[in-house]
Amino acid sequence: MNDQGMVGRLFLGLREAWRLRDHRSPLPAGGIASDVDRSVLLYLRGRSIARAGAFEMAARLYQDAVALEPRFAEALERSGEMLDVTGQESLAREKYETARKIRAGIRPGPPDRHFVLRQRGHFVAEIMAYDAVLKSLKKNTLPYLARGNAYLAAGRPEKALEDYDRALRLKRKLPEALALKGEAFSMMGRHGEAIRMFDAALAARPDDPEVLNGRGIARMAMGSVDGANDDWRRQLRLLKTNAIARACVALRMADYGSALPLLDDAVLKEPTDPYWQLYRLTALCRLGRSAAATRKFDSTAWPRPLLDFHDGRSGEAEVMAQADTAGRRAEALFQFGVVAFAGDRKAAASRWQQVVDHATPSLIEYAAARNELSRLA
Amino acid sequence: MFSVILYGRNDSHGYNLHKRAAISFNAIAEVMSDPDDEILFVDYNTPDDHPTFPEAIHDTLTEKAKKVLRVFRVRPEQHVHLRSKTHLVALEAQSRNIALRRSNPNNRWILYTNTDMLLVPRTEGESLSEILGAVPDGFYQIPRFELPEMLWEAAFDRRDPVGNLVKLREWAVRFHLNQVVHNFMPMKYDALGDFQAALREDMFAIHGFDEDMLLGWHCDSNLAARLALYRGRVETLIDKVFGYHCDHTRVAAANNKGRQTKMNDQNRFIWDVSSPYLPAQADTWGWPDIEIEEVRLDRDTSYERYTAGLSVAIEPATEAYRTTSLEWQLYSDLSYDLPHTLPFVCDQVLTYPRTTAVMLVAARAEFVTRFAKAWRGMGFTGPILLPTECEGLPTDLPGIEAGAFADLVRRTELFIFEFGLATQRPEEPVRTGRMPGPRDSRVLKVIGRLFATAAATEAETRPSGRRLPRRFIGVNVIYNKFWPLFTDYVGANINPFCSQVLAGIPRQDSSVKGKILKFRGRHSI
Repeated sequence: MNDQGMVGRLFLGLREAWRLRDHRSPLPAGGIASDVDRSVLLYLRGRSIARAGAFEMAARLYQDAVALEPRFAEALERSGEMLDVTGQESLAREKYETARKIRAGIRPGPPDRHFVLRQRGHFVAEIMAYDAVLKSLKKNTLPYLARGNAYLAAGRPEKALEDYDRALRLKRKLPEALALKGEAFSMMGRHGEAIRMFDAALAARPDDPEVLNGRGIARMAMGSVDGANDDWRRQLRLLKTNAIARACVALRMADYGSALPLLDDAVLKEPTDPYWQLYRLTALCRLGRSAAATRKFDSTAWPRPLLDFHDGRSGEAEVMAQADTAGRRAEALFQFGVVAFAGDRKAAASRWQQVVDHATPSLIEYAAARNELSRLA
Repeated sequence: MFSVILYGRNDSHGYNLHKRAAISFNAIAEVMSDPDDEILFVDYNTPDDHPTFPEAIHDTLTEKAKKVLRVFRVRPEQHVHLRSKTHLVALEAQSRNIALRRSNPNNRWILYTNTDMLLVPRTEGESLSEILGAVPDGFYQIPRFELPEMLWEAAFDRRDPVGNLVKLREWAVRFHLNQVVHNFMPMKYDALGDFQAALREDMFAIHGFDEDMLLGWHCDSNLAARLALYRGRVETLIDKVFGYHCDHTRVAAANNKGRQTKMNDQNRFIWDVSSPYLPAQADTWGWPDIEIEEVRLDRDTSYERYTAGLSVAIEPATEAYRTTSLEWQLYSDLSYDLPHTLPFVCDQVLTYPRTTAVMLVAARAEFVTRFAKAWRGMGFTGPILLPTECEGLPTDLPGIEAGAFADLVRRTELFIFEFGLATQRPEEPVRTGRMPGPRDSRVLKVIGRLFATAAATEAETRPSGRRLPRRFIGVNVIYNKFWPLFTDYVGANINPFCSQVLAGIPRQDSSVKGKILKFRGRHSI
């Protein structure tokens, strides 16, 4: 390729990236703020360059994106594709494998939640893919819902809300869009509006377990413990066969008697997931029963410190030192309360109150802590 | 590790179906390495008197393919409630869901593909079981590469899947076969239905394929839309496996009428999909409460059943051949060679469900005795219903239930009418000009009357819930005086005299003659 061709293609790529940023950018509003944002921009450039046929250059841009954000699975996958079409099959395979490992390492959201909120990751590729669909199809709901879901799963509820509103302009009372709008409001902390959306969705689909879960969370966030538990009790009845999802609902209600047999099933079904062991220990501890020997996990990664705490192998300070996110700190505080409860109810209540004060309401521990506190009161 | 789900029927869908399918079954089996792996083929709505499609081509399948293949047979009677809603004779969503419901619960993955695909792992020696075992949860697709008809038809050996895969690897490069055709999301690739791998658990969670999709096409896109919503993304296995499609466009398939092709509504089933779930069919998808027959090709085969039945019913011949004649002067001679005829009668019934209740209206006691032995020997568990109006027949044999014709006709699912001579002895030569005696005539008169009544009133006397006409098998009804009677009432083909057997369902004849016949049959005159 001569220089003029290369420059022309680069220009095309930059123009595409700039247009995307300006219009429906997968980047957060407010400009490029971090390495992650820069990596997304490189990804966009790489995609445009690849479309123009400059595969090697595109591969380099994708690699640069991965260098800035090593967990950027989409960029790795695209990089693999570029290597594959340029005859570097074994290198390509490595990139694909790494991308899969990254995705496999991300724990999905709780199984009792809306399916969109079980998804985790960047979703840049999906946002761009549905952007492309919407250039041709503007009167159908799927592309708006799918793109909105990608935004929501990526933690950008404001952008999701825009797409759900567009879907609702096409189909005014579409219950799925109403429910998703409720989830987006919940994520933004606008729980009153979320409840109104969930109410509207449930008017059309009264037996939708995922909507009931979402409304339960919003109600709990608004302080309506009984209202939340009503929704979750109904959800529990509707989830006939999914033991793990049922276990999560029972835990939200701090109904450890119901949760325990379901958690036994969960441990059997997904023995490598340490959370089911942890929650099983939680239930046993709160029911005043001793735990049989639990499976030992080789990994020291979270939530291993919480399992060690239950086994008496580490103290609160050590655990908190390893709790590197708000969510993990909330999980830790909740477990401190669980272990403290038998000997010192006041201390337990104080821990749980901290969970309620600081955690996001969608966390299982938040709901369980609120239920515990309401019973103590 | 995985269950492959395919569907079809014993017909001629597109060009050279038998070869394409054999190549595909064998190639798919070849890339399986886990003991739980299975190929589930739903044989949808093949006529009852035909074997299933895999049975029809079993001799071209490898031992490995036969071992992993489970065939689920959906009978025409099980499809009939949908017949008025579709122009198609085989329904994809229903078929795939029937297989999913009955798939091996030990398997993590379900792979949806079709009977004209070859899957080639990119790393030689690696199996698809190993590939799927190593990838994380998700919804995976691959692009489909086309294989010109000349290549698969001329160069592939059906029973050499390893050699075929080697050839494919060479051809891919030599003939530039590998072209990835990208598509809009959520489809990701063109012709996506030829490789869609989903978790079995996910498929149950979203309630399978959408069974409202009765007009053909886009079932794969609907699944992609719903699984893309459910999982958030559509993953690729392009780095692991290539998929080749045996192109078959020389002859258009039954569901392809060019621009006049009827299709499922794309807006409803793709672009306006708003949820992965189908709550309306949550408890009914895949027909969980309906018993679906399972057929195996590696055990208890039709041939084994057939020979088992006949070997208890007849002895081997002791001479090189026996003779008969169809000369016109023998038109009234109703003698026939029973050991020769019985295999053709058994051939007519073998493909029916084992629970079938068959009515036997016969002249010769020996026919009843031998048929009853063969029936049990072939593994049938349904009763043989013998009307008491027929005199001189053995009613104390295992599996025989005797009763009034009017009662039995409402229970029977299949009719056999035998027009022989009650007085014919086993060792008698046949077609020598023998005339019926008084007893023969009396018996034949009763049989003729019962036959006309059964055929004329068939629609009104069906067992409760049955909607399709029942089949009539006529024994000794070719080139003799009962030929006109049988074919007046039953729409049978022209068969060779040598078989002595005709079969079909009652004719719908709106002519004056037809009406008269129906009236006579109904009123036994």
